[in-house]
This record gives sequence, C-alpha cells and structure tokens, in this order.
Amino acid sequence: MNRRPKRHILILQYAILVLSAIFALYPVWFAVLASGRAGGRLYTLDLVGMFIPTEWSFENYRYMLFESNFLNWMRNSLFVAGFTTIACMIVATSAAFAFSRFRFWGREFGLVLLLAIQAFPAVLSLVPVALALTAMGLYGNLWGLVLAYVVGNLVFTTWLLKGYFDTIPVEIEEAAMIDGAGPIQSFLLIGLPMAKPALAVTALLAFMGAWGEYVFASVLVPAPDARRTLVVAMYNYATSNNIPWGYFAAGAVMVIIPVIIVYSFMQKYLVGGLTLGGVKG
Amino acid sequence: MANWSGRRKYLTVLLFIAPTIIGILIFNIYPIIFNTFISFTNRNQFHPRPDCTIFLTSVLEPSCWPMFEGRQRGVGQAYTIQDPLFQNYANLLGDLFTNEGLSALLRLLIALLPFAAASQLNRYFDRQLSRPVNSIVVWLAAFVMAVGLGLILDIRGAYDVLQRSGDFFIVVFRTILYVAACMPLFFTVGLVLALILNNDYIRGRTFWRAIMIIPWASSSMAVMMALIWQFFFREQGTINQLLKLLGVEQAIIWLNDPLYAFIIVVLVNLWFSYPFFFTVILGALQSIPPEQYEAAEMDGASYWQQLIYITLPLIRPAVLPAVVLSSITTFQMFGTVWAVTRGGPVRGAGTPGATEFVMIYAYKQVFQFNAYANAGAFAVIIFILLFLATIYSLRVTRITKGAYE
Repeated sequence: MNRRPKRHILILQYAILVLSAIFALYPVWFAVLASGRAGGRLYTLDLVGMFIPTEWSFENYRYMLFESNFLNWMRNSLFVAGFTTIACMIVATSAAFAFSRFRFWGREFGLVLLLAIQAFPAVLSLVPVALALTAMGLYGNLWGLVLAYVVGNLVFTTWLLKGYFDTIPVEIEEAAMIDGAGPIQSFLLIGLPMAKPALAVTALLAFMGAWGEYVFASVLVPAPDARRTLVVAMYNYATSNNIPWGYFAAGAVMVIIPVIIVYSFMQKYLVGGLTLGGVKG
Repeated sequence: MANWSGRRKYLTVLLFIAPTIIGILIFNIYPIIFNTFISFTNRNQFHPRPDCTIFLTSVLEPSCWPMFEGRQRGVGQAYTIQDPLFQNYANLLGDLFTNEGLSALLRLLIALLPFAAASQLNRYFDRQLSRPVNSIVVWLAAFVMAVGLGLILDIRGAYDVLQRSGDFFIVVFRTILYVAACMPLFFTVGLVLALILNNDYIRGRTFWRAIMIIPWASSSMAVMMALIWQFFFREQGTINQLLKLLGVEQAIIWLNDPLYAFIIVVLVNLWFSYPFFFTVILGALQSIPPEQYEAAEMDGASYWQQLIYITLPLIRPAVLPAVVLSSITTFQMFGTVWAVTRGGPVRGAGTPGATEFVMIYAYKQVFQFNAYANAGAFAVIIFILLFLATIYSLRVTRITKGAYE
C-alpha cells in the first residue's frame, strides 16, 4: 500500500484532505472572525471577510470579560465540572475496583444493571431528579447539579475503569496481601497508581462532560443569571434577539479554544485509554 | 484474590460500592419508578397537582412526605390514576394496533426483508471457500428487490397510514432514519480519510491528524458549536451569502424545509463524529500486517479487490463496536439537534416536527406541553427498546466479557 501512486490520484488525495480540513476548521474559524467584528454583526457581506479578518477589535472580548457575567459563569462551570470530576473519580474508582477485584453476590447483576439503567432517557428523568433535589434542598443550587452529574457519569466511568483494572495483573496485589496489606491498602497503594493513564482519561472525560452539558444545567439551575453555567448562559445569548451575536462569538471562542488545546495534548492518551478500557475490555 | 470471607468481606465490598448504590438509587432507579407510575396517571397541564391521598403518589412525590407537610403543593386539579389504565400508551401508539395499522407495519417489514436475507446470504457465502457472488452484488439485488416489493405492497400508502397512527411511530421512525443516514456517512468519511492518511507518502500526516481533533474536542461543547452551525443556515447566513455571490438571488430559508433541516442535522452530526470514526479506523488499519497486501499484490489483486477482501473484513472487529455505540448515542441525541432546529420545522399544531427525534419529543412533551403522563409512557416504551438494543450491543461488542469469567 505504500507505493507512490499516480499523479492524479495523489492530487485527488490531497484535495480530499484540504476539503476535510476546511470542513473541520471553518466553524471554529468563523466564530473567531465574528468575535472580532465590532457593532454586533455576526456576518459580513464581503467574500474576503468570511475567510480572513478584514477588521478586528477586542470590543466584544472586553464587554464579555468586564461588563457581562461571563467570569461568573466561567467560575460556576469550573466549580461544577471540578467537583463533578473529583467526586466521580472517588466514587467510580472504588466501585470499579470492587467490581474488578472482588467476587461477591450480585456482582454480575450489578454490572449489567449499571448499563441497563442507562438506557432510560435522561431527559425524562429530569423531573424526578428535580423533585429529589428539591426534597434535599438542592434545587437551583450548583451542588445539586454536581450530584446529578456525578451519578450521570458514574456508569460510563465505572465501566471504563473496571475494564482497565481487569487488564492489570492481579498477582501484584496478591503479593501485597500476602505481605499483610488489607484490601483497602492494596487498592490505595497498588491499584490506584497502576491505573494512572485510565484515571487521567476518565477524569478528562468526566470534566468535559460536566463542562459542556446543557439540558440538566438549564433545568436544574434555571435562575438567577449569575448562577448559571457557561453553556446555558451562552445558549441564551445566542438565541436572544436583542443581544449582539458578536458577544456570543467572543464567549464561545474563549470557551472552546482552551478545550481544543487540552484535547490536542491529551489526544494520545485519549485514544489509548478509550480502547484499553472500553473496547478491548 | 479475596479468599477472605464472611462479614468482613461484605463490609469491605459495601464500603467500596455504597456511594454508587446510593447515587444510582436516587438519580436512576427513583426516576424510572416515578416515570413508570406517572405514565399510568393523567398528569398534564390540566392536572398538575399531586393528590397525596393516593398511596403511590404519597410515596413517590417528595412534596407529600410528612417532613414537607404544609408546603404549597401547586395549584390546579390533582392528577389521578388514568382510567383505563393503559390510556396513555393507547394514545401514544394510537391506531398502530388496529388491523389497518398492523397490516401497514407488516408491509413495511416485508419490504425490508430482502436486506435481512442479503445479510444472511452474505454470511453464508463468507463461510464458503470461494464466494460465488460478490457481497456488493448481493446487496444491490436486495435493494432492487426491496424497491420492487415496496411498489407492489404500496409502501407509500402504508407509511401514510402509520404516520396518521400517532406520534410514537413517526418519532421513532424518523430517529431510526436519522441513525441510518448518519452511520454509513460517518463510516465512509472516516474510512476515506483514514485510508489516505495511512499512506506513508502523504506529507504532514501529524498536521492533518491534529486538525481532526478540533471537531472532536468541540463535541464536548456540542450545544455551543451547534449554535455556530445554525448561524450558517439562517436566512442571512453564510451559505445564503455564498449562494448570492454565485448568482442565486432567492434566499433559501434552510431550516424551514423538512428535508433540508434533516440533511443539515446529519451534516452537523457528521462534523462532530467523523474524527472518532477516523481515529478508530486508522488504528485498525495500522494493525493490518503489510504481508497480506504483498501476498494479494503477487496474486494480481487490484486496489479495490484488496480493499474489499482484505481491508474491510480486517477492520470490522474494531469498527463494529464503534458503530453500535455511536448508533445508540445518536439515537439519544438531544443537544446538537435542539440547538440547530429545536425539533422543527413543524407542520401543523400537535404533530412532531421533521427533526423531532426521540429525546426532543420527550423534552417538548414535558417542558413545553406539560404532557408529563404522555411523555412518561413514551419513556417507558423507549426504555424497553433501548434496553434490548443495549443487551444486543453487549453481545456484539463483548464489553461484558470480563463480567462472566
């Protein structure tokens, strides 16, 4: 397959690559362009302006950072995503370790049950979840959202980590237990450090899931504006008729660019971690 | 490990999984039970209030619990158990289970039979030493037969009957159509790019691969990027302006047209999903030993023959789980489609819009129409369908392999 092909095939291949690159890049590039256009215009009428910046100002960024609630929303989202990740890691790792290492009554049933309940439409569980959170006094509170996210992420993370623990040879822990370590010690001192790559991937996915989630955030923390998460607030910006779209574009760029940077650094681990845990199981 | 037994063992296990159990009970099991119960009541915008004298309501509605006594329980009439019990299900499925509906459904299924037959036939041929017919020929023959059967059995008429039979069929059918439109597209785009980038002579392969990560990363912010996509297709949007430059004067209102809206939603989903397929397929391609191709080359196999007889069968084990998992998430897709079309365009009040897929239908029923009992019944049926799909996907992907050692 590695012979050099004929000239026209080579040209075709590069053409496909360039097209797919434009397809991949343009939406993000469009947001960058729109964010630099002052005066609330999202579109420009000249062809050149659609592809390269013909005018540029930081007015939209200045507004978003200093006159809107943007930093508040950012803090809310960081708060929710951060605590979701921490709590999810603690709960899911211990459950995954137990499912992978201990043989107990109801283990297989529990594992399949975890997957099965995920088949229930999440949108429909919103109302009962809101009721339960109201009963706990956490409705409209970011902590309530964290709780809902942690459980929402639990199935996926538990399965992923369980799959990874399964690939770690059990003999090392057995040796530790012969040396007198209890199950909790062998979990903390041996299981956890060996699962580091999978832990990193799971943490990233849990963080990103909570960072970009929309439906739960919009229903469970509806108001006030300052308590909303980023995605909900930006959605309201984009669908509102009297807020300039340039503000939305500036906000979107500030949210998406860091995500892209993090992903490009994590790419290698992402692919490896996913296939190790999920598919090869 | 773990030969220790008795009470200490169970305490340790419990310590490890208790948080999970509690969380699942409150945020998964409770909603499922609650929804199932509501689906047998008449809770809607006219009957929103819980009636705490009904035993199950008093147990399942937190506002009925003794500790919240005296708190306001909402206004309006109380909802009661639906009479007859399965009324919501009957409304949802409508005329699907009448003679007319069932015969229409049957005709639709018969028209799809050739595809099932083709798949079985191909599987049988695969076990033979030499295939008498190429698999693509078999599929083409199946397609022709399906079209012929469709004409004979009056599929259009059957579809119209089913469309009139209630919301359930049309919503689920469109969602399945959406998944069926997305998957081959994702696979093809991913495969073409992976095949190109698997060649050593392509320059800057790291660069091209790095670009693919951008849509993937953005998929964690799906709603936000979907909104940007929606800007392209607004009346004054980028696409219409480009068309204007090309001399098309009449601006097309893309998202008001059912077919265009559907295609746009597929396109946006393609943008989010093809990097994942690309990555999975490229990984699979790189694990194919080059000797296989060398041997084929010696035997004089052309590029297409190599692709069909070596590449595709060998990447199948890696790609199949990706397709199954992606199908299930696409079936349950909400945010992306909601941000682009909000389930529209809607033709006439009370009918689901052209892109109103399963989750959007449920969301609209609950949060726009307050038809909670109806949505509950819908959720129960979808739950059963997805549950079966999950079990099937477990078999295909063998993800539970470790669970049954």
